Amino acid sequence: MSKRLPGPERRESILKVAQGLFAEKGYHGVSIDEIAREVDVSPAILYRHFKSKQELYNAVLQAMSSKRESYVQMVINSGTSFEDVLTGMTQVYIKSIDENPDLLRTELQSLLEGSDATTDFFKHRWKSFSDYIEFSLNERLPYDMPNREITILSASLMFQGMLREALVQKYLQPLDRLEDVSLQELSHELVRLFLRAVGIEKSHLSRKAVISG
Amino acid sequence: MSDFDSELDATGLNCPLPILRAKKAIAAMDAGQTLRIIATDPGSVKDFEAFCKQTGNELLSSGEEEGKFTFMIKKAA
Repeated sequence: MSKRLPGPERRESILKVAQGLFAEKGYHGVSIDEIAREVDVSPAILYRHFKSKQELYNAVLQAMSSKRESYVQMVINSGTSFEDVLTGMTQVYIKSIDENPDLLRTELQSLLEGSDATTDFFKHRWKSFSDYIEFSLNERLPYDMPNREITILSASLMFQGMLREALVQKYLQPLDRLEDVSLQELSHELVRLFLRAVGIEKSHLSRKAVISG
Repeated sequence: MSDFDSELDATGLNCPLPILRAKKAIAAMDAGQTLRIIATDPGSVKDFEAFCKQTGNELLSSGEEEGKFTFMIKKAA
């Protein structure tokens, strides 16, 4: 048995171990006994902090959600064009996965769970991207273009899918074809291809956006 | 007379949009002028604190009422 820890610290250590195990094996692949063994406490002590495996899992998701990426620094330091901001966001996002690949594993695991907590977690992870892309395209694309709404939604999905797949290849696949590709190169190339696909010319990007207020 | 010079409605927008719009709005203002921002993203509280700390603009006030967050920012000289 490990030495006695104060309640909050014990709770933290349980969350940390549970995060790694859930990310690796998914919700159904981990038992409370296994988590307790890894933390080096008895299951009874673990149940004192979390009433059930579901409650522990939700707490893990919550803790990961609360450490959301901050885009403030990026906005202050980078330009304000669509291309600059999307590239900056992509770099911040890739960096967060680079520092903690468990985030990506948990995200993918949570996709198949389908509970409220996992659905929220997934949505929260990508909301900044979907909002920013959809909002910006809505402002920029001609109002009379055919299938406008579907185009905007598809573009948003396309970018998220592209980035997610690149991250899976870079961080979760044993054969890392992207090993020598830097974070910068990867973000620039993804954004460049995306802009070309949605037909946004560079000249439009530097045009000063109208401030609505 | 209103107690601010410009207003930015960022309701329904998520980070980084409110910060981005504030940056653009402040760039168009004169030093000493104030910007009022209304947002609904709970994360915007921390975001605007960090934004002001790093840009040197002054966060005059920050409040919440019925899920709406209001910030007053004074542009630095």
